[in-house]
Amino acid sequence: MTASLIKLEEVNTWFPYSKPIVGKPESWVKAVNDVSLNIIEGECIGLVGESGCGKSTLGRTILRLAPLYSGNIHFLGDNIGKLSAKRLKPYRAKMQMVFQDPKASLNPKMTVFKILKEALVLNKRVAKEDYLEQAVKLLNLVDLRPEHIYRYPHEFSGGQQQRISIARALATDPKFIVFDEATSALDVSVQAQVINLMKALQDKLMLTYLFISHDLSIMEHVCSRVAVMYAGQVVEVQNSRSLFDAPRHPYTRALKNAVPIADPESKNDLGILKGDVPKLSNPPSGCHFHPRCDFRDKICSKVSPEVSKINGNSWVRCHLHEKLWKHGALISE
Amino acid sequence: MDKQSKSYKEMASKVAREHRKLKWFQLRHLLKRKAALISLLILVTTLLVAVFAPLIAPYPDQGRGTVNIEQRLQAPSFSHLFGTDSYGRDILSRVIYGARISVFGGIIIVFFAAVIGVPLGLWAGYNEGISGALIIRVVELVLSFPSTLIAMAISIIIGAGWLTAIIALTIPWWPWYTRLVQGEVLSIKQTLYVEAAQMLGYGKIYIIFRHLLPNILTPVIAMILLDLGPAIIAIGLLSFLGLGTQPPNADWGLMVWQGAQNILTEWWIAIAPGCAMFMVVIAFNLFGDALKEILDSNP
Amino acid sequence: MNNLALSKENEQTFSGDPVMQVKDLNVAFNNHGGQAKILEGVNFCLYPREILALVGETGSGKSVTAKSILNLIPSHSRETTGEVLFDDRNLISLSAKDLQFIRGKRISMVFQNPQSSINPVFTLGEQIGRLIRLYLPHEISAVMHKNQCSPKRAIETIAKDKLNEVGLTDIQRMLKLYAGQISGGMAQRYRIALSLLSLPEILIADEATSALDVTVQAHILKLMKDLCKNKETAILFITHDLGIAAQICARVAVMYAGRIVEISDTKSLFKNPCHPYTKGLLKAVPKLGKNEPLSFVSGMIPDLVNPPRGCRFHPRCGHAMDICREKKPKDLMVEENHRVSCFLYNKQ
Repeated sequence: MTASLIKLEEVNTWFPYSKPIVGKPESWVKAVNDVSLNIIEGECIGLVGESGCGKSTLGRTILRLAPLYSGNIHFLGDNIGKLSAKRLKPYRAKMQMVFQDPKASLNPKMTVFKILKEALVLNKRVAKEDYLEQAVKLLNLVDLRPEHIYRYPHEFSGGQQQRISIARALATDPKFIVFDEATSALDVSVQAQVINLMKALQDKLMLTYLFISHDLSIMEHVCSRVAVMYAGQVVEVQNSRSLFDAPRHPYTRALKNAVPIADPESKNDLGILKGDVPKLSNPPSGCHFHPRCDFRDKICSKVSPEVSKINGNSWVRCHLHEKLWKHGALISE
Repeated sequence: MDKQSKSYKEMASKVAREHRKLKWFQLRHLLKRKAALISLLILVTTLLVAVFAPLIAPYPDQGRGTVNIEQRLQAPSFSHLFGTDSYGRDILSRVIYGARISVFGGIIIVFFAAVIGVPLGLWAGYNEGISGALIIRVVELVLSFPSTLIAMAISIIIGAGWLTAIIALTIPWWPWYTRLVQGEVLSIKQTLYVEAAQMLGYGKIYIIFRHLLPNILTPVIAMILLDLGPAIIAIGLLSFLGLGTQPPNADWGLMVWQGAQNILTEWWIAIAPGCAMFMVVIAFNLFGDALKEILDSNP
Repeated sequence: MNNLALSKENEQTFSGDPVMQVKDLNVAFNNHGGQAKILEGVNFCLYPREILALVGETGSGKSVTAKSILNLIPSHSRETTGEVLFDDRNLISLSAKDLQFIRGKRISMVFQNPQSSINPVFTLGEQIGRLIRLYLPHEISAVMHKNQCSPKRAIETIAKDKLNEVGLTDIQRMLKLYAGQISGGMAQRYRIALSLLSLPEILIADEATSALDVTVQAHILKLMKDLCKNKETAILFITHDLGIAAQICARVAVMYAGRIVEISDTKSLFKNPCHPYTKGLLKAVPKLGKNEPLSFVSGMIPDLVNPPRGCRFHPRCGHAMDICREKKPKDLMVEENHRVSCFLYNKQ
């Protein structure tokens, strides 16, 4: 088993429900609740879930853009969870993010060159005189022409803007990149372009990716391992192939069934998951998924399930996963 | 590898050369806008007139205030293009000298109001802590009083004069900028490009000046240019009340107020400075519009 | 799981009169950049009780098509020619007053963001009450007569009925809430209920599920399918998601740069795509359960102010011939129920 690039241990990212002027807040929004996850060097791991499940917050927590309430984040062996801004700076260059809205992630008043230069400054291997040359090189990496370097973001299409974002992420010579719904705002064909680019870059530059999305269909094309998130917790992590063929958590099964497949021959039983997404300020007791679960048992409403290892790097959080596996309850058709 | 890097170097220098050429074209294109050109002309003329007043005014000492009683209240003629006032002073010279006091005065007030108000607004908008809250409370306090009253009170305390008027008017004026800027900052504080800068590890000050300020500049510049007219008039008001420009100094606002009293008989006394004020205010507004268009051409 | 039953439903053959016919619709917008020719000769029919998907990427003109049907685009900047035939009348030429009797009543529309299409100032109960009074006065008197109750009670009963039909529960409490207090899924169901109150012949869904979570979307899609069958409403479903088209729609129309390049029943389209754009699009769509590499059509959508001459797709088309650069392709039926607009199939 290759080394973990990033190790999350019981990470909690809680936001106070309301900020009192004095004293501690009474209730918290538990955006990320007791998440432990290993990200292996060189892999592309997916993080999938619906809105409000905390996946974006988890990505930001790893990058120290969201306030860590408790838990440890190990990056390259060092515990960066509690570092001050100053001590954190050298690590920032090594982990970058590509955001969801390509237009909003680029300052409209800055040219592409200025945007890239802002990131290049953090790259210790590049000298001042070489900024322009390096910027041209970065644009080349993402298949954009060098003439574009003095243009403004609004002069580009969404797909091109996203590629500029990727170029900026690469400028600091990172080891780890988080893609936070980076293709969700793009057209299907543009999405395909960007994904192919991502994969090529990963091979070429030996990067590690965390790919966050609400779209399950894309996971298998991009990621080797997928983590499923629900109400602030990671409920299942498996290799993408096994996740789709044999999910171990009832939510994963429901999620899989809800996706309309672009193939009229395979028809999904749409809409088997009832109820609404829970509020993170007051999630259901025990296993957060139990009110909507078809298989729930008495214990599910009382006790939060522990992490049960399946094999290798796969695990699941469900009281009944063994029983469900034995009876093949989660496998459709 | 060397060949690769050489080709990048070549590409880079080629792109830089093209860009310099393009910038030159853009500058020439900018000056083609009629409104901007005319208003810029008016403003530059006004500035030059103010600076070179002693050389331009036909009766410089009358402009400064020397009295010439024999020729009082004369209608416009060849010797006095805009007539004379109740002290016999040439109105044209008074208007020319008044440019120094009124226009410079207005510019200084608005300039300092912005210089104080904008950074406070940036800080209050970006920080949600106690310092930000404190600034906003002070802003709300000052804005709850009528500005003229504050200015009058301060003038009385310090003692009347042109400089006093400037200080007295700047104090109630800066909170408007803080409030405007704070509102603008709040709306862009959460955008992704700000988050991207945070992700790169940049600190508060850098983000405020590099990312927030350029994106809120347009409404601030609009406010500055639209404030210049009212500032000139406000100085005039204070002077009229005896708390600002002291006679015999020429002040457009003062001249208009005084001339207004005799508008039906000696109409030329108020018209000349009034027209001057009118032209300058319109020029500032037109220029402000053109500048807004240019700044907003990158949406 | 009745796989067979569902697939049989999708194989309706469409004989009989269409409920709406769009003929040669051209829409152009004037702005300071020039005149953007958004739609160019859009032709399609909508048959009763079917769900037709109008699929396209950004800039394909699908939303503009939907809005043009009901004349929802401000007219000072646009020019529209062509016909939208509904009930033997051309909707394009109708005055605003005449159109008022059709909008919301006989053709209604559901939009992308449910919470912003509900008036935030009134409670949900008030809004549905107003519409019930407007569209169902007979039913109000009928219920009043049957239950011997006040009009207010009657309206409440009808509201409960209608909202139940779209799968909402706990309605008594919901009627007192405001738009911002309900979830996206609930809001969209509410909107669908409102648009079906008048039993319209056509429901236009403009990206109606794009803002919803996938599990919620699944419910809404199922709901639309059921409603189409039970209420005998034809649905024009505008989407960029080919998965939705494949799962619930009987026919699919693919749009590119303002023109329908291919329209066919769903099975044929996916099994036997004819137009090069359709083929490229299908290869770019990620399919759950399949790990094939994604390929895409290179290039970008054309500038609509100066669109390419001839076929608008030819700059990106691998099979472009000389005639494609000169003339616009005509529509041609390649199979029964399968129409393509491409010179590859048109020997002229």
